[in-house]
Amino acid sequence: MFVTDIRKEFYDIVVNQRVVLLVSLDIDALCACKILQALFHCDQVQYTLVPVTGWENLGTAFLEHKEQYQYFVLINCGANVDLLETLQPEEDSIFFICDTHRPVDVVNIYNDTQIKLLIKQDDDLGVPSYEDIFHDDEDEDEEGNRDDSGNESDGGAEPSGKRRRFDEAALERRIERQRARREWEARRREILFDYEQYEYHGTSAAMFMFELAWVMTKDTKDMLWWSIIGLTDQWVHDKITHMKYVTDIVALQRHVSRHNHRNEDEENSLSIDCIRISFEYDLRLALYQHWSLYESICNSCYTSCNFKLWSINGQKKLQEFLADMGLPLKQVRQKFNSMDISVKENLREVIEESSNKFGMKDIRVQTFSVHFGFKNRFLASDVVHAAAALLENVEKEECATDNFIKALDCLSRSNIERLHVGIDLAKKKLKAIQQTVASCICTNLLLSQGPFLYCHLLEGTPDVKLFSKPLALSLLCKYLLKAFVCSTRNKRCKVLPLIMAAPRDVDKGTVIVLGIPPESETSDKKNFFGRAFEKAAESTSSRALHDHFDTSIIELKMEDRSKFLDALITLLS
Amino acid sequence: MDPSEVEFLAEKETVKVIPNFSLDKIYLIGGDLGPFNPGLPVDVPVWLALNLKQRQKCRIVPPEWMDADKLEEIREQERKEDAFSPVPSCHYMELTKLLLNHAADDIPRADEIRTLVKDIWDTRIAKLRLSADRFVGQQEAHARLDNLTLMEINTTRDFLLDSLNSMHKLRANLQPGKSQDY
Repeated sequence: MFVTDIRKEFYDIVVNQRVVLLVSLDIDALCACKILQALFHCDQVQYTLVPVTGWENLGTAFLEHKEQYQYFVLINCGANVDLLETLQPEEDSIFFICDTHRPVDVVNIYNDTQIKLLIKQDDDLGVPSYEDIFHDDEDEDEEGNRDDSGNESDGGAEPSGKRRRFDEAALERRIERQRARREWEARRREILFDYEQYEYHGTSAAMFMFELAWVMTKDTKDMLWWSIIGLTDQWVHDKITHMKYVTDIVALQRHVSRHNHRNEDEENSLSIDCIRISFEYDLRLALYQHWSLYESICNSCYTSCNFKLWSINGQKKLQEFLADMGLPLKQVRQKFNSMDISVKENLREVIEESSNKFGMKDIRVQTFSVHFGFKNRFLASDVVHAAAALLENVEKEECATDNFIKALDCLSRSNIERLHVGIDLAKKKLKAIQQTVASCICTNLLLSQGPFLYCHLLEGTPDVKLFSKPLALSLLCKYLLKAFVCSTRNKRCKVLPLIMAAPRDVDKGTVIVLGIPPESETSDKKNFFGRAFEKAAESTSSRALHDHFDTSIIELKMEDRSKFLDALITLLS
Repeated sequence: MDPSEVEFLAEKETVKVIPNFSLDKIYLIGGDLGPFNPGLPVDVPVWLALNLKQRQKCRIVPPEWMDADKLEEIREQERKEDAFSPVPSCHYMELTKLLLNHAADDIPRADEIRTLVKDIWDTRIAKLRLSADRFVGQQEAHARLDNLTLMEINTTRDFLLDSLNSMHKLRANLQPGKSQDY
């Protein structure tokens, strides 16, 4: 059931208990976890933090802790599947689920005792009403049986004619009831199918946790910054629409001005070491302040796709663009911080003007930046890229938990070196993505299979180990689809969704398969591949693992790939 | 003595805080801590003030001497005099560091205060070094060090004691007629 008063129904209950925090592996969950940890530290709540990679992991973690702990908080996992069915908990385990995955499973919504959903109800959830799905069928059956048995017991004494009449009437009633029941069931199947068909994401979990902190007036600027990062993560990884992103930015902007207003009041300004958050209408170039402008333009999805930088023509256009802005090449290739002040002064406006001429109307986007100490200035998207790169670091053979802890640490202000390490990893990742996209487009690796586009990354591809992780692969998918849409002339292919496969584990011979919805300006980011993958795997009995919390990401055995794809093609045509 | 030990001793000093919670009087071994009422200032030791601040349960009121103008006067006086001038608080360095690291948002003009305190510290340490140098070099028998804080003494303690010991040994060996058969 949905929690209405966050403070009374969630925080006041867990504050005196020992809690298990089960956190999924994405940046929004990390930020929500950080905010909740800060609140727990203030009130000295004992908790155990367990990062979970998928459903199996969640199950084992639950089994390990169910003896000692009664309260479980799940962050960005658990809402879209019948949790009680999956975990089989005892009667006294209580689950608080703060998840952005939609649609929320109906059993989770209508369970009154064990499952509390920390989700705002004014998200357009479209939950089907109780009567449409759950049927109290005990009364009806009893009635039917009583009638029939009543007739049979009476029937012995009555003349046969009357009994036949009674029987006919009872029979008719029964047939009528069964017909109504069948109709109801058909309608229920339809309603559930419509409800669960498309997968999408709701408001950021980090924003929800920040609201909890705000309701308790324990919100600090650090928590506000983390909730900004959570929201930006949803936008960077293409989980929410641009409209929703802008609406949420406006909501956060109110909090930012409230915090800033508190400090600007006094004539004595704040120490330079204190954190300052400011609203920026900044460029959509990834990591440009920690890189050179040239590199950033080459490796950001938006600019690279619009210029088509994988072709010679594209490179020429880029040179024209730089010339149009009047930026000398030597300056542009330098580290951003070392560029001349005169060049940096009106950079944003100059770039916006020129990009309008070159057909890029939205080079600027609303975002926030943080500022503390003399050197440290970061945009929200910089931190998202850095944390994602740390979370999915494949350079050293470390387990997911270590990477999780490192990524969690890089969000604190005291671990700036770790953040810089993350930024370097993110640069490598972005370069790898760009090169892979370029090679895929140039070698026509992206093929149309009819109802969708398909691309398979072979094992020998450079940096392919990076793409065995879901976040990196989804970023690659998004960039690839955008690049393809910009480069192809086939109008029909432009509205097709994309399925991508990359090697996951060479020893076990599995690939990770991911599907994303078609690219369009007004896309609502609703993904139907979850159900499609399930059905296709079932019908071909392929060995597929639907382990990930996003149902549109599965792991498949390499040999079953072709029959799986054929099944998908027939399913979706 | 380790500087962290000196800092630990400094945490016993009292500072005023304004809590946002209420609690009855608590009786600790070191003394009683008065009842806490939201919005009313209460005196607590620094260690408790920092803990409450980190848990967002209070606001710290900077001590009276932690004011940019007052510290500037003290700095000027320190620079003029040769001897050590009276110090704002006997743990001024540690308290500045602790309060500015954890509660910089409660203290106005925090950056200036940090610079001023550092200047005062530098001047005093320079005087101390000069004095120690003269003491050891000219083999004086006694020195007068008023108004030194524990932290400053601690910086010079190791060097001064070791060098004076060595000087004493060398001087003892210079005495004629004393046979040293080692």
